[in-house]
Amino acid sequence: MEVIITKQENEVTAQLRGRLDTPASQDIANDVETLVGAAGGTIILDCTELEYISSSGLRIFLTLRKAAAEKGGTVIVRNITPAIRSVFMMTGFLNLFEIQ
Amino acid sequence: MKRSVISTSDKKQIRHSARMGLLLVIVAAITLEATALVQLYFSQKGIREEASMRAESQMEATRNRIMDIVNQTEASVRNSVWIAQWALNVPDSLYRVAQRIVEDNPVVMGSTVALVPGYLRSRKLFSPYVYEGEEGLVFRSLATEEYDYPSQEWFTKPIELDAGYWSEPYIDVGGGEVLMTTYSLPIKDRFNRTAAVLTADISLNWLTDLVGSVKVYPSAYSMMISRNGSFMVCPDTSLVMQASVQDVVSQMEDTATFGELSRAMLSGNAGNMTVSYGGKRSSVYFSPVERTGWSMSIVIPENEIFGSIRKIGTIVFVLQIIGIGMLILILGSLFKSQVRYRELNERKDRMARELQIASAIQMSMIPKIFPESKERYDLDMSATIVPAKEVGGDLYDFYIRDEKLFFCVGDVSGKGIPASLVMAVTRTMFRTVSAHEESPKRILTAMNNSMADMNENNMFVTFFCGVLDLKTGHLRSCNAGHNAPLTLTDTIQPLPVEPNLPLGIVGGMDFRDQEIALCYDDALFLYTDGLTEAENIAHEQFGEERVEVVLHGRKSADAHLDSIRKAVTEYVGDAPQSDDLTLLFIHYLGHPDQSSDVRRIVLHNDIKEVPSLAEFVESVAEEKQVSLEVTTSLNLALEEAVVNVMLYAYPEGTRASVEVEATIEPDSLIFKIIDSGKPFDPTAAPDVNLNAGVEERPIGGLGIHLVRTIMDEVSYERRDDKNILTMIKKI
Repeated sequence: MEVIITKQENEVTAQLRGRLDTPASQDIANDVETLVGAAGGTIILDCTELEYISSSGLRIFLTLRKAAAEKGGTVIVRNITPAIRSVFMMTGFLNLFEIQ
Repeated sequence: MKRSVISTSDKKQIRHSARMGLLLVIVAAITLEATALVQLYFSQKGIREEASMRAESQMEATRNRIMDIVNQTEASVRNSVWIAQWALNVPDSLYRVAQRIVEDNPVVMGSTVALVPGYLRSRKLFSPYVYEGEEGLVFRSLATEEYDYPSQEWFTKPIELDAGYWSEPYIDVGGGEVLMTTYSLPIKDRFNRTAAVLTADISLNWLTDLVGSVKVYPSAYSMMISRNGSFMVCPDTSLVMQASVQDVVSQMEDTATFGELSRAMLSGNAGNMTVSYGGKRSSVYFSPVERTGWSMSIVIPENEIFGSIRKIGTIVFVLQIIGIGMLILILGSLFKSQVRYRELNERKDRMARELQIASAIQMSMIPKIFPESKERYDLDMSATIVPAKEVGGDLYDFYIRDEKLFFCVGDVSGKGIPASLVMAVTRTMFRTVSAHEESPKRILTAMNNSMADMNENNMFVTFFCGVLDLKTGHLRSCNAGHNAPLTLTDTIQPLPVEPNLPLGIVGGMDFRDQEIALCYDDALFLYTDGLTEAENIAHEQFGEERVEVVLHGRKSADAHLDSIRKAVTEYVGDAPQSDDLTLLFIHYLGHPDQSSDVRRIVLHNDIKEVPSLAEFVESVAEEKQVSLEVTTSLNLALEEAVVNVMLYAYPEGTRASVEVEATIEPDSLIFKIIDSGKPFDPTAAPDVNLNAGVEERPIGGLGIHLVRTIMDEVSYERRDDKNILTMIKKI
């Protein structure tokens, strides 16, 4: 799993590459910290290359979404693959996130 | 209290032996007695024959002597016949004839020529008699009034018989009480008329001496009786010429026998008879003396004849009694020792029976049938124990629990009953401890501590224990002083084991597990040193090299053990088995990586294992040829379920495992997640509210929701202290 974070003023883009499974979710704890810190602005989660997500990954998504809600920011999920989309659907995440 | 240990059948047999002994004594007695009797009979017969021979030869000799005198006398008379004939016409010359007879023949004591009355006209009676008086010859005429010679027997009988005649013996009173007899011969004249009787008197004193001197046996005696039965010679001299046989016979108790005897003797017969007289039996041999009408007899008392043989018979009888007595004593002592021997045998048999029972009990402790392994495709096992004595100190054991094969081999120090007791304890302890332990080192530690505690007899056990995970081929083992098992992979090599001390020596020892992985077709061969140290007659050991040679090649576990046993038996030959022999062969046939229908993976309770799980799920999905989308969702469901176990089933920091089993069915995939953690039913968790807003949405609970959503069926069960979560995805 690879996370590439790019910051532009009030907007942070995180490119998620690979499989966000349970161990990976733990591995990217630092990146998540970073993103939570930017929750006041816009967080763009670029899922173009995200192949897989498990509930731990979803938990990260939810954590960011809650932080953004708290801090008045926005979380935008971009370019999800059909596989990720179906997981979002199963978990009702499609309603929680703005998906582009 | 003394207790009889003889069984009924033995009692019967003892009675039988007693009867046989008695029979033997009786047969021996009869045989001895019969032999003695036969011997006695023939001896008596021989002795009797000898006595008879002796008697007869004596009588023959005596008779011959008598006949000499008789013949001499008769000849002297006959030789004078012609002179007498010639002298008939000159009667006075007849004195000369008589005188000549007396003078010429020393045996003749007197002689007369007695004319038949009326033969001569001149002399009506004439009988000139000449005899030897004390002072020379005396001449006398017998023609006297008182004597009346023509009526005398010596005169009448020869004329009547017209032949020579021997008179009845008589006592000659005139010549001094001499026993005499007279031979008379009729004389004829030219006209063949009987003219006179010529006689010769002879003394029988010599006869008394002759017959009296016949002594066949010391107390035997001889007798002579006359034609009329008068005793001529007799030991009882008072009877001589005073009594006749007939008189004596009438006085006898056994008149019949004596009567018969006297008749036989008087009839001039020869022979012998046995008579009883005064309580004594005697043999009487009798024989006639020709012409005189006498009968001679020799009387031999039977105890004289058979005296010596009867003495011998008595000695033989006494010896027989002593012999039979000794035979009875010997048989008695034999019989007693037989009874004792039987008692000992009985006791020995009972001990042997008890040992047999002990052996059966011991063998029943050991799994001999391998039903589980025969039903299992992933295991082929065989094991055997050959105790050197009825019971032994070797043991093996195995059983399967939680898809794990627990097995052990041990060898108790020593042999026989003490070792077998320790063996039984060891085996029980193994079962008890391993029932709730999966780690060999912990099994051994617990066993060692218990055994060291109660080891008062300093018995110890070399022990090897292994736990083979049949699903993964993972083998954990721990050794306590036992020889290293052999691993049969591409090569045959001893399993690298730590030696360690045997169990029961020191408590509190630390053991360590040793681990290897077995692959399909790998095998383990465990044995006790009874195999490698089996000795042939030359005391050379079988050795490990031979074991390895025999184990070469692929065979069933049974066949492997058969060839090992055969090889050892051949090698040892006639040498006695010195130690218990135990063999355990485990052939692993599991497919840890891929089995035909069921796929398994065992993961540590560490989320770092998730990629391995993903690989596993993908390989299963690929095999079932499901779409990438389904693969991904299966992956997700499995990850959720397994991670849940990894994170929450065990106390934090505990190293444990979770097992995933995938079964490929024609229309579905079945996954089972198995763990030994605390009971937890994820299906019981409430579902998340998908419509809740961001603030209300809980962080957890998504995993189980995903599982439920992705899978078609999810069920949970708790079995054998395990959580089993079954998830079915229809394809």
